[in-house]
Amino acid sequence: MVKAVKGTIIECDTSVKQIIIGLNEKYQFIIEDLDDTHVYIDTTYVEQLRHDIDEILNENTYKVEEKEQK
Amino acid sequence: MSKFQTSIHEYLETLPEHTFNRLYQKPATCLAIFRLLPPLGKQIIMSCLYVDKPIPFNEMRLWFKDGAGITKQMEAMARLKALHIFTEQHNSYKMNPTFLQEFRNALTGGGNSESFGLATSTPDKHHVDIAFLDDYATKQWEAILHFMVGTTEGKPPCKGVLNLLGRSGLMTGGSNAQQAENMDAREFASQMARQDFGVPTITNKGFQFLLQDINTQVWAFLLQYLNMAESLNMDLVEVLTFFFQLGSLELGNDYSSEKLTPSQTHLLEDLKAYGIVYQRKRGSRRYYPTRLATTLTSGTPVMLGSHSNATKNGAAAAAAVRKTEEEEEDGHGFIVIETNYRVYAYTDSPLQIAVLNLFVHLRDRFPNMVTGVVTRDSIRRALSNGITAEQIITYLSAHAHAQMRKHSPVLPLTVVDQIRLWEIEKNRLRAAPSWNYSQFNRQQDFESTLEYASELGVVQWSDSKRKMLCITQEGHQPVGAYVRKLITKHKEQQAQQQQQAHQHQQQQHHHHATSVHS
Repeated sequence: MVKAVKGTIIECDTSVKQIIIGLNEKYQFIIEDLDDTHVYIDTTYVEQLRHDIDEILNENTYKVEEKEQK
Repeated sequence: MSKFQTSIHEYLETLPEHTFNRLYQKPATCLAIFRLLPPLGKQIIMSCLYVDKPIPFNEMRLWFKDGAGITKQMEAMARLKALHIFTEQHNSYKMNPTFLQEFRNALTGGGNSESFGLATSTPDKHHVDIAFLDDYATKQWEAILHFMVGTTEGKPPCKGVLNLLGRSGLMTGGSNAQQAENMDAREFASQMARQDFGVPTITNKGFQFLLQDINTQVWAFLLQYLNMAESLNMDLVEVLTFFFQLGSLELGNDYSSEKLTPSQTHLLEDLKAYGIVYQRKRGSRRYYPTRLATTLTSGTPVMLGSHSNATKNGAAAAAAVRKTEEEEEDGHGFIVIETNYRVYAYTDSPLQIAVLNLFVHLRDRFPNMVTGVVTRDSIRRALSNGITAEQIITYLSAHAHAQMRKHSPVLPLTVVDQIRLWEIEKNRLRAAPSWNYSQFNRQQDFESTLEYASELGVVQWSDSKRKMLCITQEGHQPVGAYVRKLITKHKEQQAQQQQQAHQHQQQQHHHHATSVHS
């Protein structure tokens, strides 16, 4: 029997995909892990996910102006 | 991201035909709509204006060159048809008779010219000059913008403006609009200004609004007003007529407000608050249009000198006009941006500084300039406020200093590219609502569903090994129906097969029986 599930498809690069998998351990929002660059998730977590990924990526960015001020 | 309606065309095209027929009864409206048309549209109208018969399609086609010319003609005609200026009839274009009549009147000065505003017959004892009007318009308009960016400069705008800001979604309005309507203006303003109420927060739309040029801003405001007019039981046609009438008035002249309809008088009151018209006191018999009004339909950019400039040239009206023209030519430009991301803005207007502060990390402030840096953080802050990289770049190039304009391209490429990269970086994942189909029983069911969905163009992702596909929300209904049909067909087939098998068995049995019997 065919199963249809409503959700949100996320397209991203592989590094972001790994972060998503990491985050999934906390929230369990992944419905279906599609492939390296796609993942199918629960729609209610999309905004949360965006926010979290932004934060994680931000932590890992080299900032010029901070260095200038020091 | 939601975008606010900025173009009057878009708005007009949503109106029904009978509204247009009423609108076109005023020569001023015809002229204003004509002025808003692109050049080709104007040309077509001018060519047809004194032809009394409908123009056959193939005849009009002769006016244009083959190829590119025809597509341009089609675009222009689509526009004119949307505005109900032309209708198609028996393979020919027919001009709206009301429009034809009144537009001729507008050009030749026939008919009733009251729609162009009735000039007062007596001189005004308290006559005001253009410089004063410019100053007034600037002050009123900037007060609104100031309020939006949250600077304390100037007094808070009146209730009507606040209400409009809230309703248009430029700012998050009073926590509930119902309550706000029952409050008087002062209460409402203080309520809004109170920090704990948390109301005067500007929205994404508001940020985008600030980066537009002033003409777009005024139209955005007026369009919002139109949307509201319907709920206020004001006649849409009267409001629109008045807007277009304002566009045809002459700056520095005073006009009589006696012939206005009640809703137009009400409108005048509101427009006063935006700085679009000036009236010395409430209920005065005359009003002055300001530069904001007279440039509404002219298509030329409004250049209000920044506030400090306008007050300085309070001298002769002629001088004021010359001054603004100069400013227009010199460019309103005040921003210098270098390849090292440093920004120097030659301005002392708190408003411009506040706008810059949206996406520039400001460092130092001098009497006539501010300096700052465009940083990853400052751009990210802007991006998370809903401003797009494109809007920032447009704003920067529109306000680039004359020195910058000598270069081509105007803005340093490194900075422009970097701003775009920061935007891309922020959107590293694309999310789309979707339906996931899985657990197909048979490979051929999956393949045929996939084929059907690809024909519809709704496939987002598919994997034939795992027999799984993702389709868009729009695709869910047709594809779902298709899958159900597949399954029932399959079941029927199975049932048939079973039946056949059963019959076969019975037949065999029968054979067997007969043979035994014999």
